[in-house]
Amino acid sequence: MSRRIRLSVVPARRIFIGRALALGFVFLVLALVLMLLGLNLGTVATLVVTSTFGTEFGLENLALYMTPLLMTGAAVWLALRAGLWNIGAEGQFLAGATAASAVGLFLPFPAFVTLPLAAMAGMIAGACWSAVPAAGRAWLGVSEIITTLLLNFIASYLVYYLVTGPWADRVTGAQVSSERIHAAIPTIYGVVHWGGPLALAVVTALGLLLGRSRFGYELTLSGSNPEAAHYAGVSVAPRLFMALVFSGALAGLGGMMEALGTVHRLQGGLAHGYGYLGIVVALLARQSALALIPAAFLMAVILNMGIVLQTLQVSASSVLAITGLLVFAIAVSDELAAYVRLETQK
Amino acid sequence: MTLWISLILHALAYGSILALAAQGEVLAERAGVINLGVEGLMALGAVTAVLAADASVSPWLGCLAAVAVGAGGALVLGLATVNGSANQTLCGVALTFLGLGLSAVIGHNVAGLPVAAGFSSWPIPVLSHLPLVGPLFDQSPFVYLAFGLLPLLCHIVLFRTRLGLSLRAVGENPGAADAVGIPVRRFRLGAVVIGGALAGLAGADMTLSVMPVWSEGMIAGRGWIAVALVIFCGYRPVLAAASSLLFGLVMSLSFFGQAQGWPVPPAILNMTPYLGTILFMIVPAMLLPGMRRFMAAPAALGTPYFREER
Repeated sequence: MSRRIRLSVVPARRIFIGRALALGFVFLVLALVLMLLGLNLGTVATLVVTSTFGTEFGLENLALYMTPLLMTGAAVWLALRAGLWNIGAEGQFLAGATAASAVGLFLPFPAFVTLPLAAMAGMIAGACWSAVPAAGRAWLGVSEIITTLLLNFIASYLVYYLVTGPWADRVTGAQVSSERIHAAIPTIYGVVHWGGPLALAVVTALGLLLGRSRFGYELTLSGSNPEAAHYAGVSVAPRLFMALVFSGALAGLGGMMEALGTVHRLQGGLAHGYGYLGIVVALLARQSALALIPAAFLMAVILNMGIVLQTLQVSASSVLAITGLLVFAIAVSDELAAYVRLETQK
Repeated sequence: MTLWISLILHALAYGSILALAAQGEVLAERAGVINLGVEGLMALGAVTAVLAADASVSPWLGCLAAVAVGAGGALVLGLATVNGSANQTLCGVALTFLGLGLSAVIGHNVAGLPVAAGFSSWPIPVLSHLPLVGPLFDQSPFVYLAFGLLPLLCHIVLFRTRLGLSLRAVGENPGAADAVGIPVRRFRLGAVVIGGALAGLAGADMTLSVMPVWSEGMIAGRGWIAVALVIFCGYRPVLAAASSLLFGLVMSLSFFGQAQGWPVPPAILNMTPYLGTILFMIVPAMLLPGMRRFMAAPAALGTPYFREER
């Protein structure tokens, strides 16, 4: 006799195997779709691998993609540790980029003053952008999923308004873009800038903060079991508020890095879906902050794959579809991994 | 005066999209499943409606295809979350990404082109000839469905039939429902699929009636607004239709402002639906704490049902 039971705590190995299968499933579906579109799989695969890993340009691109993905991933991850869904990292990222660009465009300071100021401005703007959903969720119980998401639309309209109106480029006439920001994050190698190492440091610090500090413990406790947290004397609502506001600040810092390190302008399409991809990064990382790094790497590869597909006349939105499929497959595989067959004596 | 009439007509048309999607979401959430994939299903419905209407030159077939695709997408979500008890938030968000991405890929070639067949308005005899209010009775079939037939039907089914009682029981206390012999998973799956079909229909409403063209990003958060609206209306079908009209009015304000030449940049006016929705979610929770019981979500909303844990 055997009976199926559901484990309440699933061993990491089972989750890992399930997710590997899920990833395999996504690539299988992708391969099928590409075949249906009449593309040669071998050519596409070679093109993806060579353009990503085979050229200096591809590797630099990968590093440039990883930086914002690490930041938005860390943002979503932090909120998730407190049991909250920050679907608005995209908007917070844009808000941070906007504030940082304002500092870069309009303050006449040398770069070593402008850059820390811009980083501060980006973090504050990102934090403010998530403050209303955070307060609504913490004290009024208003779903943070919907409010954070709706603010993404507002942020993108705001950026669009600024870069086509008051901040529009009147020097080179670039469309939907501000003028070039003169203060730039210094580069390490080629176009790769110091934002990347900074993002790695932020992720590491975040791991230490959540795993080794009282604040981190109370935050995780408030997320996983609010009633127990309340009973243990933790004020849950302020912890939830802080988690979402810090989360916004992280995404805002990511926006600053993107605007002043990579793009050097405030542009309409600046956020590039990084906020949404951050959800997948955070999801892949599970409880570990350091796992955000390989997760961001994987998503950077997928993002680069999207660029290759775009050159083959597949819509750029295919990345969004692949992301959706991946999240769906992970959600299902994580649940299925919890079921084990138990042999029972009869 | 005619401007006010046109504002209301606008609100009816745009509100009907929200009302259809919200009505479906009310059913799903009453059964205890939160479908966050509405946005993606609407996009898929909208693009399928265009493709099918172009191929068949029949708006009816376009509509039917959109409903089928919406139901199909929701079936996948339902199988994963109800039968597979996977995380509803995650699966819903994933479905939204998938729907938005997929619709952009398959609609690549028809983007920006006029749709071959759309619905014209159906004037109601006598009433549509009334002075002043006549245009209110000369609407697309979607408007009649969204504001007339559907909310009444949903209300009667939910609150006046045994079927509706069972559906609500499944959403409030699945353990008790299971104990009296109600098939919990079948009810939940059914509610999700019908909800998805209505989301697909809302997409068809957009591309076959309100703005007869497909373009990427045209859903523009309406699915999320519909989900917010369901919370705002306290999971009640008739109130859902009424608040859809209210939200439609807020959405129309930006068009109204542009037509009137208000001295506000269009990009700022375009923010009003989203700002309005956030306010509609936060302000009532702030001002009317006593209403929370009346507006409360179904008790088992968002939680999968395991028979072992009864």
